[in-house]
Amino acid sequence: MSRSSYLKPDTVALHAGYVPESDHGSRAVPVYQTTSYVFESVSDGSSLFNVEQGGHIYSRITNPTVAVLEQRIAALEGGSGTICTASGMSALFTVFITLCSAGDHMISATQIYGSTATLLKHTIKRLGIECTFIPINDEQALRDAIQPNTKMVFCESIGNPGLEIANIPGISEIAHENGIPLVVDATFATPSLCRPIDHGADVVVHSVTKWMGGHGVAIGGAIVDGGRFDWEQSGRFPELTEPYAPFHGIKFWEEFGPSALAMKMRAESMRDVGAAMSPHNAFLILQGIETLSLRMKQHVANAKALLGWLQQQKAVTWTNYPDMESNPSHALAESLFPDGAGSMLCFGVVGGRAGGAAFIDSLQLASNLANVGDSRTLVLHPGSTTHSRLTIEDMQAAGISEDMIRVSVGIEDIADIKADFGKGLKAAERAAGES
Amino acid sequence: MYVEVRGQKTYAATGGKEFDNSLPCVMFVHGSGLDHRSWALQTRWFAYNGYSVLAPDLPGHSLSAGEPLESIEEMGAWLADFIRAANVSRVHAVGHSQGFLDVLELAQQAPELLKSITGVGTAGAIPVNPALIDAAKNSAGDAAEMLLMWGFGPDAQYGISAVPGMQPIAIGRQIMARNPLYEDLVACANYENGSAVAKSIEVPSQLILARKDRLTPIKAGMAFAEELNARVTIIERYGHMLPIEAPRQTLQKLRELISTLEQAA
Repeated sequence: MSRSSYLKPDTVALHAGYVPESDHGSRAVPVYQTTSYVFESVSDGSSLFNVEQGGHIYSRITNPTVAVLEQRIAALEGGSGTICTASGMSALFTVFITLCSAGDHMISATQIYGSTATLLKHTIKRLGIECTFIPINDEQALRDAIQPNTKMVFCESIGNPGLEIANIPGISEIAHENGIPLVVDATFATPSLCRPIDHGADVVVHSVTKWMGGHGVAIGGAIVDGGRFDWEQSGRFPELTEPYAPFHGIKFWEEFGPSALAMKMRAESMRDVGAAMSPHNAFLILQGIETLSLRMKQHVANAKALLGWLQQQKAVTWTNYPDMESNPSHALAESLFPDGAGSMLCFGVVGGRAGGAAFIDSLQLASNLANVGDSRTLVLHPGSTTHSRLTIEDMQAAGISEDMIRVSVGIEDIADIKADFGKGLKAAERAAGES
Repeated sequence: MYVEVRGQKTYAATGGKEFDNSLPCVMFVHGSGLDHRSWALQTRWFAYNGYSVLAPDLPGHSLSAGEPLESIEEMGAWLADFIRAANVSRVHAVGHSQGFLDVLELAQQAPELLKSITGVGTAGAIPVNPALIDAAKNSAGDAAEMLLMWGFGPDAQYGISAVPGMQPIAIGRQIMARNPLYEDLVACANYENGSAVAKSIEVPSQLILARKDRLTPIKAGMAFAEELNARVTIIERYGHMLPIEAPRQTLQKLRELISTLEQAA
């Protein structure tokens, strides 16, 4: 097990990264809403700029409130360090451009979030970085896709929206045999349910907007450096092992070892791209993390209860949840997510696209919107929204059907969720009867 | 940079600047299972403020080749060879924990190579719990867990870091798990010459000790400071891993002694 703290996870979630500050004894983490920090002297400022000492210079690079969140997430994931960013997408972009340069190649699972797929297919490609997409857990396809210039393998621990489970130990083994790091987007699980570094991942990315925050009031991202990957031995990463001109020829691997990647991202991407998390958002995300494990337990319990109930409804044509016994990924899910594989589930309703739309429109408790991981139950009909421009064939390739309802199960009383969904299913049945 | 010592490729951090042996040299020696990165927040300051810096990885540690050395006496002799291989006449030697025992032996075997000695989080002897040695024999990673739980002070245990966003315990574990921790701990446990060596040391000396040190309790450090006639600083709140936990305070005390000596020279 990778470990950044000897405190238990629930204690880490409440305390890691902060002890009451000495000036006022503030018990809660203060919001350092400032752009910049006064240097004690010219010499002090110079030494901060030259990485001779740790500290804060400018909030685009680091901020004390954001640093608490970073250290807390690193401790929860068992990583050597964390960089927080303005959003989950900027976290992914930061990782991609830190590990890959023009002319490089990466491999990604096909079953990933739509915006991430767009980033990889179009934006990153425009920067001269090629991405090969392979079916998740297809070991032969992964081996075949590896090239001399491959810099990373990417997957989501639970795929969005199809809820495929990544075989993190198997994928990381193949990646490591070839000197390539595995980057895992673990947004759907959070460290409360699965710590990918323990299973072989080298970098973990989160959209902390989702379950980590839970309240749905702040956007943010996080990148956790697992600290175990040997960038020198790999031989593929001169950006980390050779002199870096903007910092007097610093060699990140020699200088920082297990935190080399995090320090490089801090020094380069936060400086150049500037996708910094705001201190206030860091404070809000910290409030959410304090109750992370309590919420995740309830999320999982509600998801499983709702799944069981849906399976008994005649208007429901199919259901999908990662560790459902009939799911091919059941054993893998039980192994990687012993406390439950998150709170996302999908199901189909009678009446196809019209039935799905009728279901959504009749709900009152559950919110119809394009987000997941809120403490409130959220639903989306991909066929009418995010994927409405796709042909039926393209939707099928993405693992989406016309009747598919995506649910991010909240932590309301399960009886109220069932009652709301019951109304929706009746509406779907009516729509099916009319068509 | 890499230096060849006894035919082995030896890595030494130089604080981010090209090594210049015409400048006064400060040599930093890491503790059990660690490497040059323990000194990341001290070496760069010296390198960019008029000094040359050498922070070697001992043989078999991190970026240095070779087999780990089996005794503190051997490590002291190796440090002397290392200084000569780097073509340096005299150094201010700074050692953390076991690294200071190595420096004591260097002082015993090659006093002509030293300008001053500083021990950080240390004492004249460092007894090691046999259970820890047993654990290290089977798994450096498991032993690192035990060592770091005791080694870091209360704030670090709560995830406080001198470098924003980083987690020193995880970083320490990753380094220790790959290094010959068992050999280092055995060497520490067997070393008994500290008091004898202290009597022969003539260069200025200081000990920087931590109030919350549970691996080399402050009582042992204070007693050894008396034997050594060393100046002593006690840093409050922090534990054994002072160079990482309290880098500014540690650096400040190093600067005070070393710059004073250089100005007087």
